[in-house]
Amino acid sequence: MESTQLAVRVDSVTRRFGELTAVNELSFAAHPGEIFGLLGPNGAGKTTAINLITGLLKRHGGAIQILGFDPQTQAREVRRRIGLVPQDTNVYADLNGVDNLLHHAALYCDDLADIEKRIEGMLRWMNLWERRADPVRTYSGGMKRRLALARALLHDPQVILFDEPTLGVDVQGKHVLWEHIKAQQAQGKTFIVSTNNMEEADTLCDRLVIIDHGKAIAMDSPERLKAALARDVVTLRTTPNIENPTSLFSGLGLQAATFPQPDQLRLEVTNAESIVGELVARTTAGHRLDAVRITRPTLDDVFLHHTGRALRE
Amino acid sequence: MRRLRLLIRNELKMVRTALPIHLIAILQPALMYSIMAGVLVHPTFDVNVTRPTNEVGQQLIEAMHEVGSPDGVPYINPVLRGEDDPIGAGVVTIEETDHQVRAVYHYGLIDSNIVKNLRNRLTAAALRLWNDSLDGRAVTIVEHPWLPQDPPYNLYFGMAMLPMTTFLAAALIGGFLTAQEFEFDTIIEYRLSPISPTLVFFARLIRLVLMSWLSASVLLIVVGLFNRVWPASIPAVALILLPIALIGGGIGLSAGLMLRSSLPAFVIGLGSAFGCWILGAAFGLPTGFSSAYEFVSRLVPNSYAVELLFPLYYDTTIADSLRSILALTIFSLAALGLAALAYRRRVLIQQE
Repeated sequence: MESTQLAVRVDSVTRRFGELTAVNELSFAAHPGEIFGLLGPNGAGKTTAINLITGLLKRHGGAIQILGFDPQTQAREVRRRIGLVPQDTNVYADLNGVDNLLHHAALYCDDLADIEKRIEGMLRWMNLWERRADPVRTYSGGMKRRLALARALLHDPQVILFDEPTLGVDVQGKHVLWEHIKAQQAQGKTFIVSTNNMEEADTLCDRLVIIDHGKAIAMDSPERLKAALARDVVTLRTTPNIENPTSLFSGLGLQAATFPQPDQLRLEVTNAESIVGELVARTTAGHRLDAVRITRPTLDDVFLHHTGRALRE
Repeated sequence: MRRLRLLIRNELKMVRTALPIHLIAILQPALMYSIMAGVLVHPTFDVNVTRPTNEVGQQLIEAMHEVGSPDGVPYINPVLRGEDDPIGAGVVTIEETDHQVRAVYHYGLIDSNIVKNLRNRLTAAALRLWNDSLDGRAVTIVEHPWLPQDPPYNLYFGMAMLPMTTFLAAALIGGFLTAQEFEFDTIIEYRLSPISPTLVFFARLIRLVLMSWLSASVLLIVVGLFNRVWPASIPAVALILLPIALIGGGIGLSAGLMLRSSLPAFVIGLGSAFGCWILGAAFGLPTGFSSAYEFVSRLVPNSYAVELLFPLYYDTTIADSLRSILALTIFSLAALGLAALAYRRRVLIQQE
């Protein structure tokens, strides 16, 4: 694919901090209008990757292009086209919402005509207009994140890098923020979102790359990543406990059987829907079935599958 | 122009992010001057004298009252005490033995400056009383003013504080707020900004100059009210203080950018402002002190600013103005160059 058709292209990028390789031969590409996720545990290298894309950090190997421009050699061109919402909401806590946006406008906006109107529009859209005169330190976590997003969007960038969008935001605030991101995507904006929140990655991202120890370990849409595992999870609770699940359920496509809790049996099967009848029949032949639950694999399962560790560890 | 105006407006709004620092920078020198001029730098000294029992002693007390000071206030305030009272800060006793009358100054202090001051006052009173009987060996003090005006020392002290307060405001505010940008991560806004960094830098310098002028204005008014003396031209004072504001701002910005921590940047601002003040003609013209002090004073910008301010307050030129202007220009360019290098290193270039 031609790099000019891509919003962001990261190609075999490496970044070291002394002995530590924070980003190791990382490659991915995001298309215009896409919400692309960087999913991984804390310390995986997501923020470093974002800092490399913005040009805040110098890379030690590989290539990066933002809308065809290299952040290392064409920094000003890249800066005109990107917006960043860092992990730590870096707004001026003692200034009010309007003043924070005016500060950003002076530093970023090419056209300052009608800037007050644009700021009003942005704050209204983010449901912050009523609080525009209040110091930002009185805002909730979600409001601060929305203000930071409004600020990043004010100069109308084509690519927005959003580091941990909902870190420290309550449940209601999360959904409001996701809606705003989706609405911006509908207007053609590209988002690079870093997160360690599976729900966020699942809900928000069109595609994502799973990063561990600075390396890309899988990349696709959340649905396809989960489907690629080709297994469902069946959880059974019986009286008495099933002693030997491998022999009891032989021939049903059993991939793995574990006891996450003493009275709970977790089975990984190829296709739960097709065997659930037989599985229940074999169970009830010698046990009382107290509960059965079928679940699709989560991104945590995908991470577990690739790394042998849970994402939340 | 609209962008620059907006940048300056934003810079001025930043006062809200560090209000105590602005209050210290703008008001502290004027407060310090008020305390020092009103309490410490005062010519009248209390001189303890044991209550005299003879006529000569009475005459000495009267002579003490008669000794004046250049600005009209009493030089000596004799405080009469009992014979058995403790010596305290020193006491003068009138002693008579074998028909010889002597004034004896007893002291038990380690502060040589106060000892010197008290001794000088006793000498002045004694000269007034006994000079006539010394005939050809008498000492007469005659003042020959070399200045058209002879205002009190407090005026000089206040005038020499003007560069200090200008320097202090720019260095403190510049250093503290810049370091705070790193502490709050708001520096990222500057690091990713696509506009010309020169414009951003220029706007910040304008803010620092305005704050410095505000601080100097407060002090100038306080000095004027204390001494009833005003400079010949306020715009000229502002112009002389402009390079000092740029130097202080440059040093403050450099400290904030390099240290990235507000408290050390604050200390650097405070230390450099007070250091340049003390070394730079703070208490008197450098020529009045040792040659070593005079040499060192040439290495700090405040001396040159004082030399340029002097004619505005005393109507007398004391140094080559062109040399002072040249020195201030060189200092300003050096400080701004240092700040520009620090800005480039910490803000503009990508982290290695």
